[in-house]
Amino acid sequence: MNVLIVDDEAPARVRLRRLLEEDGAHTVIGEAGNGKRALELAAELEPDVVLMDIRMPGLNGIETAHHLNTFENPPAVIFATAYDEYAIEAFEASAIGYVLKPVRRELLDQALEIARRLSNNVLGDVAKKSGISDRRNHVCTRLQGELKLIPVSEVQYFLADQKYVNVFHLNGQDLIDDSLKTLEDEFADTFVRIHRGALVAVTSIESLRKTEDGRLQIVLRGGATDDDDGLIVSRRHLTNVKRRLKKG
Amino acid sequence: MASAPEADDKFSQAYLPDFCAAGTILVILLVAELVAIVLTLASFEPGNFLTELSKMSMFLLWLALLGTAVLCRIRPWAENQGNTQAFVICFVVLVVMCLLLAEVTYWLTVRFGEAVIIDDTHAAFLMRTFAISSIIIALAMRYLYVSSEWRRSIMLEAQARISALQALIRPHFLFNSMNTIASLTRSNPKQAEEAIEDLADLLRANLGVTKDRTTLKEELEVAETYQRIEKLRLGDRLSVHWDVAELPMRALIPSLTIQPLLENAIYHGIELLPDGGEVNITGRRIDDDLHIAIRNPVAPDQARKKGGNKMAMDNIRQRFELAYGNRGKVDVEETDNEYSVQLQFPCEESAP
Repeated sequence: MNVLIVDDEAPARVRLRRLLEEDGAHTVIGEAGNGKRALELAAELEPDVVLMDIRMPGLNGIETAHHLNTFENPPAVIFATAYDEYAIEAFEASAIGYVLKPVRRELLDQALEIARRLSNNVLGDVAKKSGISDRRNHVCTRLQGELKLIPVSEVQYFLADQKYVNVFHLNGQDLIDDSLKTLEDEFADTFVRIHRGALVAVTSIESLRKTEDGRLQIVLRGGATDDDDGLIVSRRHLTNVKRRLKKG
Repeated sequence: MASAPEADDKFSQAYLPDFCAAGTILVILLVAELVAIVLTLASFEPGNFLTELSKMSMFLLWLALLGTAVLCRIRPWAENQGNTQAFVICFVVLVVMCLLLAEVTYWLTVRFGEAVIIDDTHAAFLMRTFAISSIIIALAMRYLYVSSEWRRSIMLEAQARISALQALIRPHFLFNSMNTIASLTRSNPKQAEEAIEDLADLLRANLGVTKDRTTLKEELEVAETYQRIEKLRLGDRLSVHWDVAELPMRALIPSLTIQPLLENAIYHGIELLPDGGEVNITGRRIDDDLHIAIRNPVAPDQARKKGGNKMAMDNIRQRFELAYGNRGKVDVEETDNEYSVQLQFPCEESAP
């Protein structure tokens, strides 16, 4: 099997590589020191299995696994952790492959045998039990070829666009293939639905203004607004939008 | 900002005796009877001793029983009013009750004539009762206060020991270190050997945590040992800047204070920053106090998740309270991108 190793600690990567390569049955096709690099390498090298630490700076292991799931052929994921009693309970409960550091060869082999792709539900469960926030800090796009992570804090609004969702952020716009419903559930505390096809970050709303034909349109901070009808607030959602704005 | 007072609450609780317990009531009655004997002896008139004693006993035993009953009811509330306040409350309650009882006694005497108990004027009788009762009750309260202080210090000590045990090295750190060592055994056996020595020293220092104080020199060495192990794991991501030359190395500090704070700084700060960062440890001597500050950068999205390091902080607060009372201070300051802990404690040097 082709394995991608992801760990922020160099000695840990060295050891995993040695264990896997001495075995002969597996090939280490790459090493990444953080979640972002892992996603880039996974996109490029298409590993069968990603062997990944949970506690990492930036994107943690669980968020990285979420993003891997947006791939066309998501790799299987095995988590490696030094100690985390709650996460281990969740692993056991959902039959997720995991290894404990320092890793034993036999257990690593076993984990590789049963390694499988993890569903988002299962990941959410692990996150909850291990006290790691299940909310992504980034949304991920790889529709234009290259993989790109957009910090959620820089997103101004999401606009449904047929099959995809268009993300408007401080540095431009990108297409992602999460559904608007998923995004709404996940970011309910910072985003508000303004019509059937749009979610806007509450903090980036400057004001509401009336258009010539009497409808209400959102003005974003910095004065920008959508030229088309993208940021028109529908009557159905108006009360809720106003309530959220009042709350700040 | 999380500050010391919230942690103080349980330390300032008073420990009043259990006034509802039979044993306590018996002791109180005995003391009341002894006081009655003393007072009767003081105004000794030959031939009348037993009559006088029985009158005095009746008055005092009533007072003792009523007083105990009231204290039994208000004890839970009084204890939470703070250590000193609890005793002032008890004092006032008892003196007021004593005066009320005296008043009732006076009117009973007037009503039934006989002047069996009182041969004073009304005012003189009340004044005399007030003076005697205040002095005796004050003495009793003083005694209870001292024993409460003693119990408090025992409780504090027990708590500090328990939490010292809880604050032992994080399992996470231990397993990660072993993983690092497992990796180094082949790639760099010499480093692996040193790492095992360091880890052994660190475990030894942790096991000896029940000795309450150590010199700054030893404490800083433990922290540096810890830093060396973490450095192997985190590489360039970790740097620590020590600015402690100003501190007298013979000064005493509760053992295992700096190391757990450095551990917090790394675990909650440096480790979660993609490019790592620098922990700053600054030591100053200002007049008779030593000030040590440990500052670390935090990832912006981590700053909001508080509470993770509460255990180590509670532990250090308790041990500072026990060692220095209100002469020691542990302050925490948190901003969006920095976390810092300031320790302040009196400089006490060990003998050379």
